[in-house]
Amino acid sequence: MINSSNQTAREAILKSIRAHLGVGDSFEPRINLRGLPVVNAVVHAQTSENGAAAQSLSKVDVFKKQLEAVNGHCFIAHTELQIVHALTQIITELKGTELNPKRVAVSDASGLERLVRLVAVEVEEVTVTPSPADLFGFDIGITTAQAAIAETGTLVLDSSRERHRLISLVPPVHIAIVDAANIYSTLAETLSVLHRTGNVSPIVTFVTGPSRTADIELTLTIGVHGPQELYVIVNEGQPLVVS
Amino acid sequence: MNHLTAETFDENAKAALTDTHLRGALRNATSLFGERRREAAASLNNWEDLRTQARAIKDETLSHLDKYLEQFVSKAEARGVHFHWAENAAAANEIICGLTAKYAASTVVKSKSMTTEETHLNDALESAGVQVVETDLGEYIIQLAHETPSHIIAPAIHKTKGQIAELFTSELGSAPTDDVAELTRTARETLRDRFAAADIGISGVNFGIAETGTILIVENEGNIRLTTSLPRVHIAVMGIEKVIPRFADVDVFLKLLPRSGTGQRLTAYQSFITGIKSNREDEGPDEVHVVLLDNGRSRMLAQPITRQSLACIRCGACLNACPVYQQIGGHAYGSVYPGPIGAVITPQLIGLEKAAKLPYASSLCGACREVCPVKIDIPALLLHLRAEITEGASKQRIGERLAFSVWAWIMTRPRLYVLSARLSRWLQWLFVRDGKISDKPTTKIFSPLAAWTSGRDLRPLDDSSFRDRWKKELSHR
Repeated sequence: MINSSNQTAREAILKSIRAHLGVGDSFEPRINLRGLPVVNAVVHAQTSENGAAAQSLSKVDVFKKQLEAVNGHCFIAHTELQIVHALTQIITELKGTELNPKRVAVSDASGLERLVRLVAVEVEEVTVTPSPADLFGFDIGITTAQAAIAETGTLVLDSSRERHRLISLVPPVHIAIVDAANIYSTLAETLSVLHRTGNVSPIVTFVTGPSRTADIELTLTIGVHGPQELYVIVNEGQPLVVS
Repeated sequence: MNHLTAETFDENAKAALTDTHLRGALRNATSLFGERRREAAASLNNWEDLRTQARAIKDETLSHLDKYLEQFVSKAEARGVHFHWAENAAAANEIICGLTAKYAASTVVKSKSMTTEETHLNDALESAGVQVVETDLGEYIIQLAHETPSHIIAPAIHKTKGQIAELFTSELGSAPTDDVAELTRTARETLRDRFAAADIGISGVNFGIAETGTILIVENEGNIRLTTSLPRVHIAVMGIEKVIPRFADVDVFLKLLPRSGTGQRLTAYQSFITGIKSNREDEGPDEVHVVLLDNGRSRMLAQPITRQSLACIRCGACLNACPVYQQIGGHAYGSVYPGPIGAVITPQLIGLEKAAKLPYASSLCGACREVCPVKIDIPALLLHLRAEITEGASKQRIGERLAFSVWAWIMTRPRLYVLSARLSRWLQWLFVRDGKISDKPTTKIFSPLAAWTSGRDLRPLDDSSFRDRWKKELSHR
């Protein structure tokens, strides 16, 4: 029954669209997308004081600057040891705050758990991909990111390649490791990479800074439903993510 | 308290003008949003090109909407998404209530969606015995207060933190505080349990990409990610005009939408959902349903001038720029969509007769057109709707037509014009007090002329006309 009425509604809506488009259409030339002006490459942060400097920054530097501008924290590591050091430093610092992390959830990215086990801070628990119901009790989620966008300081999470859809979202702290080689300059470039094969992964999430709201008197508040702290470790050494 | 209708717009607006709390909040919000938008637009060196491109993409989509919709649906269906077509609000609600019954859902979490506000989905679900929880902080606040959104992107813009604190204390039993971070934390903690318990998540859609069958949803809080990731069923409600042709087109719209809405370079999260998860054991819902809503939209395609209303990407920039919205806020419009775009969309969605006052809720200053990221000519649309209203009401306006015919007859005859001006100069002294014509008990001005004087004073005509002065003095110089 549902199917036949759905089919009827589908036909009625499409028919209505065609009927209404037919009327008065001759007043408007059909626009050819290929004939449109090409939008210029986007130049960011071209304000007078840093416009010149922005040109000479590397992708990693631009990413770091943009991430920090939206309240994210950025570490740059050149070796595995430096990644472990960065993780140690982040967790140690958090221990002194009211977040006081005890339970750490880690995604199933290859090699990630091994790195986390090397961290020289005591935590009560490290679990790889806890169940969604359990995840609410965790304080930190550690994942990798499949890519990043320099011009906006954005992480790109492809959750068909790593179980991080919830680990990157539910705990109040998210730490992500991204390979410097996977940082793209622009949003447009990133979109074309995501669409390279003609198909797009089932769930791709862009993350730009911690969760935020200004719904009460437009007062910016960091940390609503998603993480209130976002740390990104950019890995300039041997790539972690095999792509 | 605020379930006003568009039919009583004049009264609603008058009441809003006396609300000093509201006007203070509106002044802060609209000026801050406006400032941030200007700065964000200036951070790109090709803002105008982007607007032109975005509008061209929308025009292309809308003029072949059937084609792009079918492409979008077939691509997403191939990836396992179920589609439901709804000709009107009632049909959409029936479909969604049917799905809640099918999945035996008792609790539904919702992320912000103007389209479900338009269909009044929450009322329908509650009547069906389903508990609905709004999860966007602003929407959650107004749901607790039994109100409606007053701004497209900041639904609770009209409420002070004091009012919100009182609301949380009485509804959630939280300790009184006026610390915004503390209030936000209370909402986070309360809603976590709801997310964990929900059977279905309902979201809106910002863009449906025809080329790939992807739905793209844009947000800052993370509640959309939770709504679309945790429950085992995700239902997305989407107006048929939300389609864009190509995956690459996302670039233009993601540059325009956050900058125009909140002045951000990019909002915190964008979820690109293309079909259902590839492995059953992966995280995320088992099923994804999309409800496609017409509800008067296809009708707007008929003329190029009205068709552009469907290009709107719901950024809210025109609200912030509008001198009328800045004074009266969103509720006075008595419609789901407020502000200039609301004054244009509402009469087309619910009928001219029910919203005949809204196209007049504008000074036609054009500020909305200046800020619109997809270059919708809102003033032209307002004039078009006014013309339709006037033509439709021709029978009731015989007096007005007669008056304007007489006026035109006089104005095209110079002698008569001079004579009538002289006559007016004499007669006006019946109404002038303290050098102005105003609506006072001693000089009661009767309808319809009182429409001019009830809200403002008129300056009387000068003692001598320009022609007289020219003759007397200036021509001899």
